[in-house]
Formats: sequence, structure tokens, C-alpha cells
Amino acid sequence: MTAHAILTTEAHRELRVRTDRNAALGDAVMTALVMPDEFRRAQNEYPILFRRTPGSDEFAALALFGFEPGENLFLENGRWDARYRPLAIDVQPFLIGRPASGAGDAQVHVDMASPRIGCDEGVRLFDETGRPTPFLERVAEQLGELDEAYRASGAFFAALRRHQLLEPLTLEVTLADGSTNRLVGFHVVDEERLRALDAAALGELHAQGHLMPLFMALASLANLAALIARKNRGTVGG
Amino acid sequence: MLAEASEESRVDGAVGRVVIVGGGTAGWLAACLIAARADPAAARPLEVALIESPDVPTIGVGEGTWPTMRRTLERIGLAEADFLLGCDASFKQGTRFDGWRTGRAGEAYHHPFVPPTDADPRDLVAAWNAAADGRPFADAVCPQPRACRLDLAPRQRAMPDYAGALNYGYHLDAGKFATLLAAHGASRLGVRHLRDHVVGVERAANGDVAAVRTRDRGAIAGDLFIDCTGHTALLIGAGFNVPFVDRSDALPNDRALAVQAPVAPGSPVASQTVATAHAAGWLWDIGLPTRRGVGCVYASAFMSDDQAADALRAYLRSTAPGTDFDRLTPRRLTFRSGHRERFWVGNCLAVGLSAGFLEPLEASAIVLIELSLDALLDDFPPTRAGMDVRAARFNELFRYRWDRIVEFLKLHYVLSARDEPYWRAHRAPDTVPARLRDLLALWQDRPPLRADLPRTDEVFPAASHQYVLYGMGGAAPGAGPVRAEGRGAVAALAEVERRGRALAAGLPTNRAYLDALRAERAPAALGLAR
Repeated sequence: MTAHAILTTEAHRELRVRTDRNAALGDAVMTALVMPDEFRRAQNEYPILFRRTPGSDEFAALALFGFEPGENLFLENGRWDARYRPLAIDVQPFLIGRPASGAGDAQVHVDMASPRIGCDEGVRLFDETGRPTPFLERVAEQLGELDEAYRASGAFFAALRRHQLLEPLTLEVTLADGSTNRLVGFHVVDEERLRALDAAALGELHAQGHLMPLFMALASLANLAALIARKNRGTVGG
Repeated sequence: MLAEASEESRVDGAVGRVVIVGGGTAGWLAACLIAARADPAAARPLEVALIESPDVPTIGVGEGTWPTMRRTLERIGLAEADFLLGCDASFKQGTRFDGWRTGRAGEAYHHPFVPPTDADPRDLVAAWNAAADGRPFADAVCPQPRACRLDLAPRQRAMPDYAGALNYGYHLDAGKFATLLAAHGASRLGVRHLRDHVVGVERAANGDVAAVRTRDRGAIAGDLFIDCTGHTALLIGAGFNVPFVDRSDALPNDRALAVQAPVAPGSPVASQTVATAHAAGWLWDIGLPTRRGVGCVYASAFMSDDQAADALRAYLRSTAPGTDFDRLTPRRLTFRSGHRERFWVGNCLAVGLSAGFLEPLEASAIVLIELSLDALLDDFPPTRAGMDVRAARFNELFRYRWDRIVEFLKLHYVLSARDEPYWRAHRAPDTVPARLRDLLALWQDRPPLRADLPRTDEVFPAASHQYVLYGMGGAAPGAGPVRAEGRGAVAALAEVERRGRALAAGLPTNRAYLDALRAERAPAALGLAR
């Protein structure tokens, strides 16, 4: 259930938002959307995979946190053990809203049904004079960045399709305790097809700013081994 | 063989048996700290015994600590949540002084525990003065006053024990604190707790205390005795006749009237001690989650007991409307500011009120207990032969510290422009210690600097003197002919502002923190499975 509200000084002056990270606050997720503009920051923490958006032909990029639904192997004692979190999850419980008319500036909305809301020990959004706190200023910056990155991402996924640069990933992970996890439905960058692109195609991808995120996504797959190690730490003796 | 060896070392004067006489805050802090730091692998592990008289009530008024208490509690091995809940404690981030300059309404300054931001004090004071935005010195150079004004805690619950976003000590219920330390000391640290009344002292040939005679257990022998008998000063005073150095010439307050006022559930818990000046002294106000401790400190030469009661009543009426003063039971305390000429004599060390007492304006009582024990334990004498040199050093260091504290307390008064006879008398030049007079002359043309307080472990560093000097309206000196070195003070002040905003957003209120802590520890309600 959600209850989105436009954030205002009047209505939310005393509101505090919890910023710790745990399952009860909705952080126990296997994946989160990650924008191509973020690949560079995300690629040394998480595997970046691609998946078709349900009911459409469009692809979206996801950062992988676990091997089954509801599993986030980065959560540890109220904190998220990584130096970077994808914007889409980091901004929660805030969202970008637009006036019903569709015109005008984006607004900061807040999901008042989020478990992050309504705790006396969270971070304030406005100070005692009604001025936005540094926390809210940062959230607003992140929302702006996320909005822009989302709008820019369509061209990236179109280029992937145009050059057929994705291939299905089949990953079977055998854990130290002998159990097997299968990762299905994901795609990764097709390294061979990427290598085979001619100079003209590469030049076009580069000119549009798509080449770097492609290589970042490729490089991110090195994190699969580290993620499996995290999973093993949890299952062995745990 | 082992028993023989240890018997032999006793003949050599090895220090193995520590006997603490007195069981208040001082006695139990001494017992716990010594026992906690004793090495169980030592050839002859220390035995710590504490004799507590069932007849003598403890004073239990020292209810403000310094940040040093966090280190002390950690050494003793108490979890911070256990301490907070066990003593109805809250966080103390400094002191706010109301009405000290002229007595006009709304006049206040902070002496926070966080020192001014790191820049040359000359530049910092100049930048604060140049900003001319009407902000008090402490508010400009330190993010803590802002957090205090919002009744915020200095830490979040998720932080490790004793860590803080801002430096802090505690407000606590002294009676509960002694009880908690006693239980912890006896059950976890192996302190022998003897409930008995000391009726006499047995002296050795060299003048040392050989044993204390108790009513029920006879003589209790020891190698090192800690006198924590409070104002009685059973060993250092009655036993060794060490003279008392009267400091009431500089600090004339000699009475206090203390009450405990109830607080409403959910009401804000203050982040600092509030010290409000009145016609002939000042009032303390210490907020706990469960009650407020309020007291009127005054000089009997300038104010009668009835007038003090009136001042207390008026204060409660203005700060806690609805409090029925006549249903509270004030306690009257009589004291004299001063200390022993020496604190460690022979094999006896005085800790706590037996060593001395100064009016509680800067909560120096408990911190002096901690510092005394730190000094003892950082260079603990393994034998009697090693005691005299250490005692001489200890006495020199603590005489210096008491002197410095007297001077710092006096600083609060001499800068006042209040006009009542008490305040004018406080400013009489012959009541101001000479070293303080010299410093005040220096501070005409430059701020308090480290060189003014040169020891490594100053009780009140230059930062504290800056807070009081400029809080009391001391003028910022003009630029001198020599430039200061270091980073830009203007940038440093902007950084303080940023940090203050971030902290004000991220820290919970004291009330929210302490209530959540209490709720978390409460037994599961309604039979909910955990």
C-alpha cells in the first residue's frame, strides 16, 4: 500500500525519516533498478544485469543483491554494507511527482505509508525554521539526478536492441553447503557481439555516451563471485 | 611455595590489599575502577574491599558528569544502555548560563563540551567578531549549542556504546548510580562489599594506616587505603590531620537548597545543565527523563535561607508552572569551598568530598574522582616503597588542578556586570587569584591560548575559558602585529554552520532516544512472541 503526498514545509515540518537499512524497512530486495548513468558507481559493488520489463519489450538494468526474491546479502546489522546504493532504492521513501496537468516542475513526493516514516529517531526533513535540512537537500538532488538518468536511459536500451548486445544469462550457483541456486530470466552484455562491432558502430555508441556504461556493465560481472561468497558466509555455519 | 612467596612480598611492602572506606559515588567508582584495571595474572592480584557504613547516608547531589565518564564506564565494563536505564540518566552536552552578565531576561550563553572548531583562536575570534551577525561566540564556533537548544541527544541508538556525534557526559540519579556500581562491582568485578561501621584507625610504626577497626568485623588490614568518607574525611582529616585549605575567599557560596521536581511524561529533556544567576548566587537545573533536580546555591553572608527558598520557588514557578512547591521537600546543604592541603599521605589517598569540594558550578566533583583514580592507576605503586614519590607528584598535580578549577569558577563571576552587593563583592580585586588576574590582563589583547593552560591534561582547557570569556561579553581583541597561522577561520565557521544543520536534522531528541530505549527493554507486552 502506498500513500503518496506532495512534500511541503507546512505538512511535514516535524516529519522524520529513518535512514537505517534493514528488512523491516523494505530493504530486503533481491534487485533494484540502476540507471546507465550510475553504472560507473555501481559496477564495483554489484553485478549489473538486464531484464525485460514485464508486459513489454523494454529492458531495464538491475543491480543484484541476492539470489532469491527477498534476499539482500548486503544488509548487516541495520546497515547496507556497500559504498554505493542505486538511486532508485536510496531515495526511498521519496519519489518524483508531477502536477496532474503534466506540465510544470517535478515535485518531491513522499510515501507516507512507508515504514521509514513516523519514527522519532529518524532524520528531519525541515529544520525548526522550516528550512530544508541537508538531508532533504540531498534527497532532492538525488531525485533530480534519478529523473534525468531515467529519461536518458531509453536511448541506451534502444542502442542495445539495435546492436543486439544482450544475451540471456544462465547461472547455476552451487553453494558451499551443496545447495544450488538458479538465476533465470536475466540478460547480460554479449561480450562477443560487443567485440565484433565495427569502428562505425563503436564510434556511434561512443558519441552517444553508451560505450562506457556497456563496459561498466561487463566489468560488474566480476562481482558475482563476491556475491556468492557473501551467500556462502551466510549459509555455512549460519 | 606460592603462599610463602606472597607472604614474603608482603613483608617487602607489596601493595595487594586495597581498602576503600566509604560507599558513595567516590567509593564505588574507586572500587570498580581499581578492580576493573587490576591484572588477574599479576603475581599477587589486587584484592579490593569496600567498607560501607549502614549508618551514614550518602550526599548524592553530584548529578552531572563530564565526558570522562564514558571512558570510566567503558573501563568498568558497563553497557551504556544498562547505565542509562539503571540511573535514569540522560545526556549532558555542557552548561547554559542564564542571566550571568547583567541579569536581564533572555540573556544566556553556552559552555558546550565540544571545543571550538579547529583554527587559531585569534583568527576564530576575529572571524566571529567580523561576521557581526549577532550570534553568540559558542553558537558561531561550535555546532553543539544548536543541538542543545533543540533538546537533541548527542548520538543515535545505532551507534556503538559510548560513541557520539557530539561530545557528551551525563545527568544521572546519584543514588541509583552508586547502587548500580555497587551491584556491578560486587557481582562482576570481585569487590568485597563489607557493610560495617568504621570505629577507629590503627596506625603502623611509620605512621601509615595499618587497619581500620570496624564495629562487627574487627580490624580490616590493608596496604593502600582510599578515603571516600565524604566531608567526614575519616582518614585524611581525622586520621592524618591534613589541613583544609579554605577557598571561600574566592568562592563565597556556602549553602544550597535542593529539590526534585516531577516532570510530565513525554516532556522535553534538556541537553545541558542550566545555571541561572540570582541576586546572591545561582540555581542549577538538571533534567532527567523522570524528574528535574533543581537547587539554589547561595552565599549565606548575602542571602537568608528564606530568601533562597523564595528564589527557588520563583524559579520553579517560571520554568515549571503548575509545580506545587509546598509539596516538594527541599534539602538544605551547607558546605565550604576548599580542599585538603595534600590528598595522598603515607598509604592513604583521599578521593571525593574527603579531598575537597567546590561549589558545583562546573560539575567538578565527579570528574575529580575520575581524574584521581586515573592518576593512581596510570602509575600504580607496586610496593609501599614506591608510594612516597608518587604521592608527592600526585599532590603537586592535584593542588594545581584544584587551583585551576577555583580560578575557572571565579572567571564566571568576575566578568559579570550585575550590580547586587554579592556580585560586586565577587569582583573585589583581593578575592581574585593572582594568576587569573594576569590572564584577564592578557585576554585584553588576545584570546585565551593553549599557552595559558600549558599542562597536557588541563581540567579546563583554553577552549573552556574562551567560551566563558566571550559568553560573558568579553570584547574580541583587535589584530596584533603578528599574523596567526593556520587554515581560514571564515571557512571554518561556515563548516560549523553546515555541520550544525546536518546534526540538527539527524539526531533524535533526548526524550525520543530515552523513551525508545526504555520501550525496547520493557518486557514484551501482550504476550507477543519475540
